[in-house]
Amino acid sequence: MLLAVVRRLVQMAFVMLGISILVFLIFFATPGADPAARIAGRNASPEVLAAVRHDFGFDRPVPIQYVLMMKRLFVTRDLTSFVNRGERVIPAIVESMPATLSLVFGAAVVWVVFGLLIGVLAAATRGRWPDRLLMILGLIGVSMPVFWLGEVANLITQDRYHDTPFFSWVPALGYTPLTQDPFLWFKGLVIPWITLAILYIGIYGRVLRASLIEAYQEDYIRTARAKGLSETRIMLRHALRTSLITFVSLFGLDFGALVGGGALLTEVVFDIHGVGKLTVEALQNLDLPFIMATVMYASFFVVAANAVVDIVYAALDPRVRAAAT
Amino acid sequence: MSDAVLPAAAPSAVPAGGVAPRPAAGPWQTAARKLRQDRPAMVALLVLVLIVVACALAPAYARYASREDPFASNVDGSITLDGQSVPVLQAETAGLGLGLTPIGPTWHGQYFLGADSQGRDVMERLLYGGRTSLLIATVATVICLVLAGVVGLVAGFAGGVVDAVLSRLLDVLWAFPIYLLAISLSIVLINTTIQIGPISITSGSLALPMLIIGLVYVPYVARPVRGQVLALNRTDFVLAARALGVPPWRILVRDIFPNVTTTLIVFVPLMMALNMLTESALSFLSIGVQPPNASWGTIIEDGQSLIYTRPLVAIAPGLCIVATVLALNVLGDGVRDALDPRAKLRVS
Amino acid sequence: MTLKRILTAGICLAGLLPLVAQAAPDRAALMQKHKGGTLKLTGSAAAGTIDPMINYELKFWQLYAFTYDGLVTFKKVAGKDSNTVVADLAEAMPTISDGGKTYVFKLRTGVKFSNGQEVTGKDVVASFQRLFKVSNPNAGSWFNGIIGADKCLKDAASCTLNGGVVADDAAHTVTVHLTDPDSEFLYKLSTPFGTILPADTVGKDLGTSPAPTTGPYMFASYDPNKALIMKRNPYFKEFSVDAQPAGYPDEIDFSFGLQDEAEVTAVLNGQYDWMFDEKPLDRLSELGSKYAKQVHVHPLLAYYYMPLNVNLAPFNNLKARQAVAYGVDRNAIVKLFGGQNLGAPLCQQLPVGMPGYEPYCPFTKNPGSGKWTAPDLAKAKELVKESGTAGQKVTVISSDKVVERSIGEYLASLLRTIGYDAQAKAISSNIQFTYIQNTNNKVQASLTDWYQDYPAPSDFLYVLFGCESFHPGADDSINIAGWCDKKVDADMKQALATAVTDPEAAAGQWAQVDKEITDAVPAVALFQPKYVDLIGKRVGNYVWSDQIHMLFSQAWVK
Repeated sequence: MLLAVVRRLVQMAFVMLGISILVFLIFFATPGADPAARIAGRNASPEVLAAVRHDFGFDRPVPIQYVLMMKRLFVTRDLTSFVNRGERVIPAIVESMPATLSLVFGAAVVWVVFGLLIGVLAAATRGRWPDRLLMILGLIGVSMPVFWLGEVANLITQDRYHDTPFFSWVPALGYTPLTQDPFLWFKGLVIPWITLAILYIGIYGRVLRASLIEAYQEDYIRTARAKGLSETRIMLRHALRTSLITFVSLFGLDFGALVGGGALLTEVVFDIHGVGKLTVEALQNLDLPFIMATVMYASFFVVAANAVVDIVYAALDPRVRAAAT
Repeated sequence: MSDAVLPAAAPSAVPAGGVAPRPAAGPWQTAARKLRQDRPAMVALLVLVLIVVACALAPAYARYASREDPFASNVDGSITLDGQSVPVLQAETAGLGLGLTPIGPTWHGQYFLGADSQGRDVMERLLYGGRTSLLIATVATVICLVLAGVVGLVAGFAGGVVDAVLSRLLDVLWAFPIYLLAISLSIVLINTTIQIGPISITSGSLALPMLIIGLVYVPYVARPVRGQVLALNRTDFVLAARALGVPPWRILVRDIFPNVTTTLIVFVPLMMALNMLTESALSFLSIGVQPPNASWGTIIEDGQSLIYTRPLVAIAPGLCIVATVLALNVLGDGVRDALDPRAKLRVS
Repeated sequence: MTLKRILTAGICLAGLLPLVAQAAPDRAALMQKHKGGTLKLTGSAAAGTIDPMINYELKFWQLYAFTYDGLVTFKKVAGKDSNTVVADLAEAMPTISDGGKTYVFKLRTGVKFSNGQEVTGKDVVASFQRLFKVSNPNAGSWFNGIIGADKCLKDAASCTLNGGVVADDAAHTVTVHLTDPDSEFLYKLSTPFGTILPADTVGKDLGTSPAPTTGPYMFASYDPNKALIMKRNPYFKEFSVDAQPAGYPDEIDFSFGLQDEAEVTAVLNGQYDWMFDEKPLDRLSELGSKYAKQVHVHPLLAYYYMPLNVNLAPFNNLKARQAVAYGVDRNAIVKLFGGQNLGAPLCQQLPVGMPGYEPYCPFTKNPGSGKWTAPDLAKAKELVKESGTAGQKVTVISSDKVVERSIGEYLASLLRTIGYDAQAKAISSNIQFTYIQNTNNKVQASLTDWYQDYPAPSDFLYVLFGCESFHPGADDSINIAGWCDKKVDADMKQALATAVTDPEAAAGQWAQVDKEITDAVPAVALFQPKYVDLIGKRVGNYVWSDQIHMLFSQAWVK
């Protein structure tokens, strides 16, 4: 077991290494991405351009530049931006983590609670109208592009109906740190939480419903019924337990991706300065240090979540263990 | 599909390995019949057909109803409304006289839903954009399922080092920032052309978003396929075939592949829905479909700068996406239910 | 500047003295009444380094105006006078001798940096050296005339400018020696690149650590992801009302991160007092009508233009270029920018208001009035046929910002109308400008803009169309069209030389050059933009300088 975990960690490291090399190569292969001229300033003379090139090390071979950047990112941890010079990359990312974590944790609470509710209710009333209604609502939630939903939400809460009692409490777009003003922090995150959660409530409700119904076919449920246990008890204490395996593993993957900056469209639309927004800005600015750092950060969480879920699965399910690498 | 499938060894369509159905009507016919009886799925199919037909008729709409070029700027244009000539972009006259507002919905043939900030007919662009969005979603789905099927099959069947390497490649692909790739490729391709077999990809070519979106979801589909193949490897009939000395490729083709195809078929509407959402997200960030092509995602992006004065420009394409994706999901549910023999045992 | 001009300026100033004395009590009363509070500014992103000798962004140049000082600066007033150079850290305008090659500045005494140090000649010399040490973008183009600059350009680390910039501590003077006379030298020193910093300022990019200031405000902190905070400079004493007046707010906060739509809403809601970014198109109507009292519209010395690569087909053919110039509907482009009150069609390479501007427009229907009236599509199509380039593939490259992208699409559809197989491509605005300059990218046509550094025609014509500005294969080749005409180049150098002694004659020469370049069409001029300034309701005393834009230190919030 331990060997498998260690082997998996080594593979994780390789994956991240591979991604970092690919990002670096893609950046330098893009015409116009060379930051020397942008850093030097408009209309810089050739001597100035050459001086800037040399200062930043752009005249060295690409592999050397890669190694130097990796060293500054992981070892000395003083990597600075190409666009906002002097701005350190790692503190910037660390400072933006609370915003992303606030957004993702809050949304996760909402979608887990509602996902459970919907899944259980739908499975309990399967085939009848509450089931159909909940499933249709869930499907609608899954079908909306999250950035569009965010724009529509903004239109309603910030502009059109902002002056009505329904939405006058909605503060201006942006994120307020929890330590600065807890009440404003909360008010500013309610609409983003709901917007982000709607998509996942649909998915998780349906997944839970499907696995509950599948669990109901199992023998041990029939036995429990034969023994005279109430439906509620069967649902909550027996069926739910096995169904939660899929639910939890899916949750691990999605949550990991979101923490790594996967909610970038939500952050952009609601002006929340989290890791996702930093990622989008870095990409649009073609700011290689920030791109590298945010990509490493995101891929770490995705790959780690993957590994954790796989390992947990192996630990729980002996059949999978036998076939696992 | 596969004629070599014998009723006795008929495959189950459930990933975790299932119960062999009774040899009644062939499995595909049973599935088709069940699908036909599933009313929501049939409604969804109808909606999809309507959307596809409407988009296919875009040129006809352009010719007879809107009579404008959907891709050209029409900043100076004007139309006749109730006998009066109304400019498409109306300059503000009050106060300092800043800004221009595009014409709002006329609910007539021309500018049915109004104009966007360049004076183009939104309804017409919705129809043309729908063609692009649907086309990209379909082709990307095909690319994704073919690649994922191959990778999943090979990884699950071969096992060992091959499986480990492929799984880690899938990890790299899953964690990779496609936005960076999309931005970079869109700039590289301005002056160069990539050749993949008979297909040449230039900047602005639709093949680019198709490829990128298709690639991105390969791990998403390949993993369940791999899982299913792993499970199938341990089923009695495969173990028996191995014991009998049947060559591996034959086991792959005759026993494993047909089971995998049902999984892939279940994924078709789901992947189309996901790909459509991804394409709209990429186009919204300006790294998907490029002008002069339009897609529902690019129209939402166009509408962003008008969200306060003409919100319909951003809302309408979003509703189109919701309707299409919803129909695909409902249909997907129906297909999955139809192909799942366990449904026969379900209490309906 | 000529001796004659200096004397004229001096006499005018002397004549105004009684008026100034009268105005002073009013200023003191105003200061008493409105001093205090925090001015809150917002912008979507920071603008790079805080180093005034490197940063070339308008966003920060507006802030450097009331934090840093140079030997001279632009007068901080409204109206046409805001284009005049006045003495700043120098006591008076410099004495110029030796045919314009020697400038002697007498330094003010008693001016302190925000760390308490007094400004001396040593700091001035060190600041000039520092321009080369930190690779100032214009070190090689603006300041290469200083004696010793050539050595500094080759080896920046050991830059001494020996013989170029000399301080005389006894006489409190600094003398600058140039190799050739430069009629624009004082303009260049008036920009933030002429900032005087303490001699011990490190000779590398300051990044996010601001240097001590001499103006009424200093930089307290800079976090590119959050905000730039400016507080009162404790060592500031007003030494010249024209050059660096005392400020009303106690603190100025510039916050980063909101998107443009959210910024407009925030300013209208009173959460901020001013926003930097371009106002989104769909809010313009509302701003111009309902909130007209909080909106100010000003013409800019700038223009949007379409460089055409004269070394690549089809625009290596003069007729093809002329066709585009005739066919462009400048009115339609102005509409895409926000309407007739926000932009004026322009046919030539100098904007209205620039010295040397004489109305000239050959590329219109019924030419002759010097004004553009309408596109001449028939002539355009005819020219394309005559050129033999019809049907060729053309790509127009614009940035991906909303307005530029739509103009790019319009230009592509125009090219299609007159007979080309054209497409528009939008590239990230962060790299588009360097991308279109590099000849390796084979850009045929692009859309870009140019804003003045200072009010001189050479800043447009010589910089954008001089042979020296063309560097094939490099990212910094601001002569994007790649056009080089030896005769016009010589005419420009002649005009530059004439300006040293006779500015009026030089203006006439520049007007002639403008016509020559416009006729050759290396670039199609499109329009001259205006700036929409939106301020919060509580802001008083809005002052707009043509060079610095809104003077933040002069606005009050109480």
